[in-house]
Amino acid sequence: MVEAFAVASGKGGTGKTTSTLALGMALSEEHDVTVVDADMGMANMLFHAGLSDVETTLHDVLTADAPVAAATYDRFDMTVVPCGTSLDDFRDADPTRLREVVAQLAADTDVLLLDSAAALDSRSAVLPIVLADRVIVVLQPTIPALSDALKVQEYATSYDTGVAGLLFNKVHDDDAIDEIATKTEQYFDGSTLSTVPDSEAAREARRAGRPLLAHAPSSPPAESFRQAAARIDVRNRGSEAVADRFRSAVVPDSP
Amino acid sequence: MNVPEGTLLKSRVVERPRDPLAVALDRSLTGYAVFEPQEALLLDAGGCGIITFRDGVPELAYYTGTDRGGPRALADLAMPGPYHVELYRLARAELASIGEHDGLAIPPGMAAERLAGDPALASSTRRAAPAARRTDATDGETDDERADAEPGAVEAFLADEEKIDAIKTQARTEAQRRAEEWGFE
Repeated sequence: MVEAFAVASGKGGTGKTTSTLALGMALSEEHDVTVVDADMGMANMLFHAGLSDVETTLHDVLTADAPVAAATYDRFDMTVVPCGTSLDDFRDADPTRLREVVAQLAADTDVLLLDSAAALDSRSAVLPIVLADRVIVVLQPTIPALSDALKVQEYATSYDTGVAGLLFNKVHDDDAIDEIATKTEQYFDGSTLSTVPDSEAAREARRAGRPLLAHAPSSPPAESFRQAAARIDVRNRGSEAVADRFRSAVVPDSP
Repeated sequence: MNVPEGTLLKSRVVERPRDPLAVALDRSLTGYAVFEPQEALLLDAGGCGIITFRDGVPELAYYTGTDRGGPRALADLAMPGPYHVELYRLARAELASIGEHDGLAIPPGMAAERLAGDPALASSTRRAAPAARRTDATDGETDDERADAEPGAVEAFLADEEKIDAIKTQARTEAQRRAEEWGFE
């Protein structure tokens, strides 16, 4: 019983990692949730989740054949799989092994959230979108963010990955967001899950090394993320079928 | 919009429109930038965008392909990139000779905020703007607030179905080409 979501934006600075952990915590009230830092070139989930001192990360699984279980951590009612920040490790990592890692994690969880890279410029950056069942598109009401979000959707649908919805993040009061969200939906397969106000609370949470929903659970952005999670209807599917899907995913064995 | 020929400072291809805006601000450029989108699929729309600067702060925007100015010109200019960009310096008198164009004016932070998607650069640009452009003496509204009462650059971008279709088509073509390169089926 698992569905895998890639949390993606195509552009940096939209708050993907904050969003991934916030959605994960909100979804964990009803589901077993695993969040994976699949942004292998710019990993930062470990800083957001207070895991900067851990020894084993996804990089070790992808480079040194460490078992997946050694890189999973139970935090904030979720299973968190952080990625290391060493560029050498990144160079040595075999991104295609991510498929097997995802398949193993999928066997033991209801919801997988893959925090994806901020660009679509390499195979390892696009891989989470290929592996996921659906993407959650994080965007801001600016032209480059909208343009990149459109690209994410087209990449996703080209690889038979659906769109779960749009999450407008870091929204300012004067952004005319309702009108922009309505017009944006015309061009997307998914609807708006929520509009999350820009807030100092998210930055404070990041500095404190805690997910927003743990650090400031009653803040306005936390409420908005809960609303977004409530609008994602997680599809029940047989976990074996899903694991098979990842194992037979259309990714070659060698880079 | 007639712009006098300035002194060429930089001519380069950039992926994002942010870079020339940041350079103009860093150098307190008085002059203009010419943005020519390189995307072949979108060249049917044709043309190039011009943004003028006074002391590094954007003042006017115009897009030749659509003959539109102001926030709408920023929307016309919004392409996936890359852009060929030229930065020119003008003497103050030459910039003044372009004259007052209500239809071409953009708020100080709008290009950075809406075209480049960089709120930090937008804040720096607003801080660099003269007080008269930051706050309207009569009603206390800022230029940016006033602009929100009109169709802004984002709304104009979203109204351009043809361009959005072109961006989607380009992305699908790219995704399929890369699927072959990367060995996805």
